[in-house]
Amino acid sequence: MLELKGLTRRYGDVVTLDDVSFSVGEGQMFGFVGPNGAGKTTAMRIVLGVLEPNAGEVLWRGRPMDNQARRQAGYMPEERGLYPKMRVRAQLEYLAELHGLDRSAARQSAGHWIDRMGLSERAGDRVEALSLGNQQRVQLAAALVHDPVMLVLDEPFSGLDPVGVDVLAGVLKDKAAAGTPVIFSSHQLDLVERLCEAVAIINKGRLVASGTVAELRSAGRRRRWEVSVAGADAGWAAHLSGARVLDQAAGDANGRILLELDDGTDEQAILDAARRAGRVTYFASSQPTLADLFRQAVQP
Amino acid sequence: MTTLDGIRLVARRELTERTRERSFLISTVVTLVILCGFIVIPKVFFSDRTTTWDVGLVGAGSAPLGRPLETQAPLVGARVRVHRSADVAAAEAALRDGDLDLAIVDGRQLLAESDPDDQLVALVQAASRLARAQTALAEARLSERQIADALAPPPLPVRTLEASDPERRANRAIAFPAVLLLYGQLIGYGYTVAVGVVEEKATRVVEVLLSTIRPVQLLAGKIIGIGLVGLVQLLIIGGIGLAVAVGIDAIDLPPGAFATLGMVLLWFLLGYAFYSVLFAVAGAVVSRQEEVQNTSTPMSLVLVASFLAAISALSNPDGPIATVSSYLPPTAPLVMPVRVAAGAASGWEIVVSVLLTLAAIAVLVPLSARLYSGAVLRSGARVKLSSAWSASRG
Repeated sequence: MLELKGLTRRYGDVVTLDDVSFSVGEGQMFGFVGPNGAGKTTAMRIVLGVLEPNAGEVLWRGRPMDNQARRQAGYMPEERGLYPKMRVRAQLEYLAELHGLDRSAARQSAGHWIDRMGLSERAGDRVEALSLGNQQRVQLAAALVHDPVMLVLDEPFSGLDPVGVDVLAGVLKDKAAAGTPVIFSSHQLDLVERLCEAVAIINKGRLVASGTVAELRSAGRRRRWEVSVAGADAGWAAHLSGARVLDQAAGDANGRILLELDDGTDEQAILDAARRAGRVTYFASSQPTLADLFRQAVQP
Repeated sequence: MTTLDGIRLVARRELTERTRERSFLISTVVTLVILCGFIVIPKVFFSDRTTTWDVGLVGAGSAPLGRPLETQAPLVGARVRVHRSADVAAAEAALRDGDLDLAIVDGRQLLAESDPDDQLVALVQAASRLARAQTALAEARLSERQIADALAPPPLPVRTLEASDPERRANRAIAFPAVLLLYGQLIGYGYTVAVGVVEEKATRVVEVLLSTIRPVQLLAGKIIGIGLVGLVQLLIIGGIGLAVAVGIDAIDLPPGAFATLGMVLLWFLLGYAFYSVLFAVAGAVVSRQEEVQNTSTPMSLVLVASFLAAISALSNPDGPIATVSSYLPPTAPLVMPVRVAAGAASGWEIVVSVLLTLAAIAVLVPLSARLYSGAVLRSGARVKLSSAWSASRG
């Protein structure tokens, strides 16, 4: 398990990370989300030892993460990091060796990931000669080439076409299935929701929510139902007891409204009330999306 | 993986990637061409230009001087062409036209247009003195043998306290291209370090690298790797340059030639160690290639000043500028090799200068490593040295 404990980082008077703690289990796919400048990159850099925290620590399998453990981690920085003039194969072999593989193992592993990423025909080209999408694939191969025991990826999906997204998602799922904790940041919340078991939401350097997506959905939230009633008065739901209309559903093209139910309210009673008002054409439980949770978490 | 493994891997990458670049080949060839130019051009344009004097002989009294003049002239590094002039008037005309440098009238008077060449006059006087002594001795009825013994005693042997002139000249002939080469390598490869550091910053490779090795390993590997590239190039250029010089006979390879080359290699290593760590800091505090030039300026200026000091030391290796600057660590790498080649520095002076430079390097390396570590991950605005210092824990 990878644990971040009370991580704090200041630049002069600016606090970019303020007492952030969460943990990522082995084999867990973990999404790290937050607005720009929230501190995601700082946290990831600290995990990889690229930055020192002013306070707090990072534990890997219960022990402080040392250089030995870091060398076994795979890291993909936000703004990418490859030598533009170096050839793809040489670059991957070099990075594999830097992470502790011997020469023949490095060569073998570089070959494997070049194939897996569909880069075989470009293996002898300089990185700068590749398209951005292909450079991104090389970057991912660079994070994977030493068979890391944990993956920390900063915005790995940005700039990828849908096919690239699928390839990357597939690789990450495989790694997680093999027991590797995978933590990645992304602004593509639908993707995070689809892939990740657990997420952490960070805002202005502080952790505002973390846990499994299901936990976040249920935590501190009332049940919501969507209802469409044909031929009803516009204000039929205004005086329902035990439920109230949420603004955001008003003006929906289908005349659908979103109701938030009080804790003791039976949704069947609401359905009865709706049927009295007109013909019910739609009645369904509404799950907040991660995007909803995100907006709710980061709005003041 | 040990600390040394990390350094070795980084250095190996620098060495293999950079020697494979076309720019390495180009800079090697360009440097060779310039260097060979310095060796070949003086040979073609300035060598074998022995002074030739035209001397006119007027009257029978002058005739016996002709041969001795011709045979003695090479002793002063000159050549004499003897002309017969019909009379004084003809000789005067020839002097005015510049056809003659000097005329001898009847063996008793020397005639010149205005200031005659001192060496030529001395040569003629000596020949005349010899001829008159010969006549006097013959009139005193000495035998041919006695005259010869009296007038041509065996020459005195010469013992020199220092290396003979031609040897020194040859050493200095090597010293100039050597110091030029050294200057080029120090400024070129120092700048390469700065650009290499900022390249890793600009492309963010540094983040990937520093997630697996420590900044000090990256810095050490980079400096050693680039230094090896510079050393390899120096050996290639030095070897070919020397071969060309010997091949066209521009230099009679003096016994000290290899010692001079050894000095160049030693001082390349010392000078590179001194400057490269500073150039690395210059690269680490900025984020874009365009800014490197500004932050490298102090080092470049000091190197240019050292080069000028070295040039002045070529002509005056014992002067105060040369002497002092051959001890100061920033200037010693370029000035000391010149003084050594000129034979102006004794063994202990070299040792002191090397030790001073090593001491300066020993101070600079940890200092620079700390500044580098504190600055290399900070992108955006130029990093102040004070904040780089406090950001790093060494």
